[in-house]
Amino acid sequence: MTSTPAKKGIDTILKKPIAAGIIIGFAAALVQALLFPAGGPVAYGFCVACHSRDFIDVIWNNIFGTSLFAAPISLAGALPVLTIVGVLIGAVVAALVYREFRLKKATALGCVKYTLGGFFFMVCALLMGACPYRIALRIGYGDLIALFGLVAIVIGVLIGVKIALKKMEA
Amino acid sequence: MDPLAKDVAIMLVPIVTIILGFIIGWLGQRSGFCSIGGIRDFFLFRQTRLLKGYVGLILSAFVFYLIFSLIVPSAFPNFFWLIENPGGILAAIPGAPGGLSVAATIICMLVGGIFVGIIGTLLGGCPLRQLVMTSEGNIKSGFFVIGMLVGALVFSGFILGWVVDLFALIGI
Repeated sequence: MTSTPAKKGIDTILKKPIAAGIIIGFAAALVQALLFPAGGPVAYGFCVACHSRDFIDVIWNNIFGTSLFAAPISLAGALPVLTIVGVLIGAVVAALVYREFRLKKATALGCVKYTLGGFFFMVCALLMGACPYRIALRIGYGDLIALFGLVAIVIGVLIGVKIALKKMEA
Repeated sequence: MDPLAKDVAIMLVPIVTIILGFIIGWLGQRSGFCSIGGIRDFFLFRQTRLLKGYVGLILSAFVFYLIFSLIVPSAFPNFFWLIENPGGILAAIPGAPGGLSVAATIICMLVGGIFVGIIGTLLGGCPLRQLVMTSEGNIKSGFFVIGMLVGALVFSGFILGWVVDLFALIGI
């Protein structure tokens, strides 16, 4: 596939994580400016953990008639926030366009490990009330409590790195 | 400027968030953006490529919250927290889960955050990275996402109540 220089130029910029970070920050603020009247909370423009929770809880509520917790913004209308669906579609399309889609097979043990990992990750993230992204947004919004979350994540990563290095030595 | 009418905003929620997600998914795929990965790479290799992205997100969020709060003030309650937050500097902004006390919220933050950091580091990325890797065809990450969804249901169904009860019991 031959891509035009213009397309390549934009892609070079978009490949820089700092560009992605700035655009996500802008988009999160714009989304709050547009959607806050539908319901809070604040600094909720983008969060993988909370938006997944809203998505699955509202679906579950609709099917089984339960009343699991979701943010007001997701309970206001018929549909919750669909950010997670968008992320999956966007990343698939980008991977296909740039031919980076590769099916990576996994062992059964690996799948069990990752399922459990995802489970406990989500529980801990919801305990924090945020994934690392909403922590960033909340700090940007001036919530000092979120700083504790960031410090905790940094400590967690340090412990994780220590464990990973130990495993490599063994 | 006045914010959108409530019913218009409610109708826009799924549309706007799916577009937002698409853009973030595209960016995440192109750049390999990852918050936990950024901190990990800094500690392991002193690489700041991904970390710059995460720091950029925090700064950009602050700047654009500031700009948009000047344009649509009523959509940004309690911004300028030092002046406007009635509970003081340490009070959580509205929307922190469970209606817990400040001390309880900080304990949840610390416990949750440490494990988020450990799991994210050992399994190769933060949740956005896992979503993007799923989209790139990584089956293990797909199971991580399934685990996340199950975890969300179990947390909302059981664990959230237990946590609130626990803090009520020990009186924090």
